[in-house]
Amino acid sequence: MLHKGVQLYPLRPLTAFLAGALAFLAACAAPFDPDARLTVDVPTRAEIAGVPLIRQEAFFCGPASIAMVMQWAGSDVTQEQVAALAFSPGAGGTYTADMIGSSRRLGQLAVEIRTFDQLLAEVAAGHPVIVFQNLGLGVAPVWHYGVVTGYDFDRDEVYLNSGQADLMVMPFAVFERTWRRGDYWGLVVLPPDRLPVSVGQTAVLSAAAALERAGQPEAAETLYHTGADRWPDNWLWLFGLGNARYAQGDLRGARSALRQAQALAPGIPEIRANLATVTTALGR
Amino acid sequence: MGVFDLSRKSLAILLSAQLLLATQTATLAQAQMLGTEDAIARYAAMADRDLLLGELQRAEVRDQIIDLGIDPAEAEARLAALSDAEIATILTQMENDSAGADIVGTLFTVFIILLVTDFLCFTRVFSFTRCVR
Repeated sequence: MLHKGVQLYPLRPLTAFLAGALAFLAACAAPFDPDARLTVDVPTRAEIAGVPLIRQEAFFCGPASIAMVMQWAGSDVTQEQVAALAFSPGAGGTYTADMIGSSRRLGQLAVEIRTFDQLLAEVAAGHPVIVFQNLGLGVAPVWHYGVVTGYDFDRDEVYLNSGQADLMVMPFAVFERTWRRGDYWGLVVLPPDRLPVSVGQTAVLSAAAALERAGQPEAAETLYHTGADRWPDNWLWLFGLGNARYAQGDLRGARSALRQAQALAPGIPEIRANLATVTTALGR
Repeated sequence: MGVFDLSRKSLAILLSAQLLLATQTATLAQAQMLGTEDAIARYAAMADRDLLLGELQRAEVRDQIIDLGIDPAEAEARLAALSDAEIATILTQMENDSAGADIVGTLFTVFIILLVTDFLCFTRVFSFTRCVR
């Protein structure tokens, strides 16, 4: 029989260890510290109004999130219409490349983002962002697309339209874990008359050229026009504008844009060649 | 010997035929519009690199680099050795960090200096810089 004072396990060190472990866990769950984590200045909270909650059909979280963002911007596209362009039945889901491709085939500006800085900068600028999350674990993944519509540092909350009936609220730490397992993949989908705030000019230019390739010269034209206003010293926007107009049969418009490009950057052979083609076509 | 001569001759014929074909294809292609995508690939990357190299020429950047004991010529050589994709990454990072503001002024200077010190193993800011010692 054991004496009352004797314990089988040395309790005191164990308590100390547990207390330490709890403190460590608490430290892990500390509220998101924007000063330590971000290099961009964003407001303490931001919320984007008017992103509809679309209840996703089975496995349609990708198409549903594109539909939500496009409807927020005024389109009436449905998740079924997006799914026809994006969903892979064999995979039971939607690949990230198809998320980008289908947005472009629907005439939208689509650019990828990869960091918390970019995510919060876009949301603060009023642009909802589609994020790729693993809601499960690395060994048992539950892949999911959601739309980030807001955040609040003080309340330690990230708001998502997640394909369920209501708003999903996650603490930053939980959100970050699920997003990290999705390699921090995010997608900004905007109508072509609005520009993302967190990506470089070249990425937007490439997205515009991709719209031409996706058979959306009209959307490409709008985006080149928007870009030319934002970055007036870069002739590539006007060059693209000329090409997009030519593709729609607007020869006079193409000539005018290419002439402006040439005025900005005399001596570029590509501008000269295309201007010659357009002028010849006009002369016929 | 004869076989060798023959194969050289046929190679020459083959090559000149191919050259002729390539020239013809290029001439035909001139009647079409040159694509925006190719122009972006060619010029946007070039402009990015010129922007960074131009920054290195600025007096305040140069002075600080020399103060750190770094040869500006070496810094330029390192910058020239980066791939287009790496240059694009640097500029994206800079544009993000300047939070929407145009990338000019002090912040840009700091970035260029950090990039150079990264190359020379003093700092480790950019993920793709390879420190060689």
